[in-house]
Amino acid sequence: MRFAGNTLLTLVLIFLIGPFVIICIAGLSGGETLAFPPQGLSLRWVQRVFEIESFRSAFWLSISLAIGSTLLALILGIPAAYALDRYNPPMAETIRNIVTAPIIVPGIIVGLALLRHLVVPLGIPITLALIIGHTALLVPYAVRVVSASLINLRTDVEEAAVMLGATRLQSFFKVVLPNIRSGILAAFIIGFITSFNQVPISLFLTGPGITTLPIGMMFYMEFNFDPSVAALSGLLAIMSLAIVMLAEKLLGLSRYV
Amino acid sequence: MFANRRLGILLLAPATLFVLVGFIIPVLILLAGAFRTGDAWSFANYTAFFSQPLNREVFLRTFRLGLIVTAVSAVLGYGVAMAVVEAGPKSKGRLVALLVLPLMISPVARTYAWLVILGRTGFVNVALTSIGLTDAPLRILFTETAVFIGLIQLFFPLMVLPLISSLENMPRDVVPAARVLGASWFAVFFKVILPLTREGLVVGGTLVFVGSLTAYVTPAILGGSKVLMLETLLYQRVSVANDFASAAVIAVILIVMSILTNILLKRLASVRRRR
Repeated sequence: MRFAGNTLLTLVLIFLIGPFVIICIAGLSGGETLAFPPQGLSLRWVQRVFEIESFRSAFWLSISLAIGSTLLALILGIPAAYALDRYNPPMAETIRNIVTAPIIVPGIIVGLALLRHLVVPLGIPITLALIIGHTALLVPYAVRVVSASLINLRTDVEEAAVMLGATRLQSFFKVVLPNIRSGILAAFIIGFITSFNQVPISLFLTGPGITTLPIGMMFYMEFNFDPSVAALSGLLAIMSLAIVMLAEKLLGLSRYV
Repeated sequence: MFANRRLGILLLAPATLFVLVGFIIPVLILLAGAFRTGDAWSFANYTAFFSQPLNREVFLRTFRLGLIVTAVSAVLGYGVAMAVVEAGPKSKGRLVALLVLPLMISPVARTYAWLVILGRTGFVNVALTSIGLTDAPLRILFTETAVFIGLIQLFFPLMVLPLISSLENMPRDVVPAARVLGASWFAVFFKVILPLTREGLVVGGTLVFVGSLTAYVTPAILGGSKVLMLETLLYQRVSVANDFASAAVIAVILIVMSILTNILLKRLASVRRRR
């Protein structure tokens, strides 16, 4: 029984992780077309990734979008989580449902709705629509993760600060924020990864010249069969691995997943 | 709890307004469009949508794949979760990290790996032809099998993680107790383990099922236009044919399914807590 269980576990882990090993090797190919095993090893396709202009601009758009929308989601989400937890506002349940609704709606619908009923009628720029869509998706994560760390923070430390003469605002910035730091950091990392990897929301909100990295990759692979996307995928996998290991070291991210 | 309710409302207002204006209202307008033909309210868009054989096929395929992916993940998930829990606390942390890792990597990168493995000159075909099992490369890409493989790899972690935590919360001695009392492994699983871990199964099942129904990247890359699912059909209807009526109908189907499954999840979880 135990042997069977461990065999299954090993096979499943190979199934889950193996493809990344294969894609890293395929990205190191020296040949012209995508194949496994690769024809010779070289770094030429890794180098090529950095030369392809559309990948470069898409990478920077994705990075700024991920950082910007995560920060915006935290700026909106932290006060909301705090109010929901501490102020017992009217209709708390309804409001909680509203701010966490974006998680239930499939991304492609969000993208299409924003394009048809916000971008077109109001004439707002498409990059702003991208920020709105990504931020809306991340607000629920921010509220949930920050709520979880607020529940663990006792209210009497704040009461004590206020009694000792701090204003509510001071006690929030000097007592509450430092204490939920790791929750905020976790929310930031989860938000960043979610936005950076997001495809469906961005699908209808990108156009010529404005493309996020995952969508740029999907378009590129439709017409090109060279190993550059494999090299880029390998680089992205290594980047995610580094972020996850850093997060695990800093705050034990697996507690929040 | 603090007394100042006005301050509470002030703190909540930005997030609530943002989600309402930037998300809920546009989505509601889009969904309402599914019930409008010309200037009147009607279900005509639905009858038109389902009168097309291709649309019916895509609809059924999406549900079929969703159910199969969920069922297979559940069966494998129990095996893997039990092995992880038995492995002891020390290696457990490392195993969970390995299971979480794929969730952090870009779905495009994850799915692209399968192009390398399943393609005509990919790993599987090279291996099969070199040992002489097949003469010509097999066509695996752009079949339901390829989409199934991609979806399982994508969503399996979402099934196994809740199962691991459910199994850990199960009282330790119930399985040995049932064994001592003469229950077969089969009976132990169905009469002891399954009822006690139902909550984890429901959570994982919902995540995997809704995830598969609403997947875009995997069917787009591994299925192409040969194996359309609801989301890829929606994209195709809009980008190729400007057919917003069908798109709105698909949107309604996806949202209703997603909300229904989530309500079901809450129901099942709360029934268990009340007992």
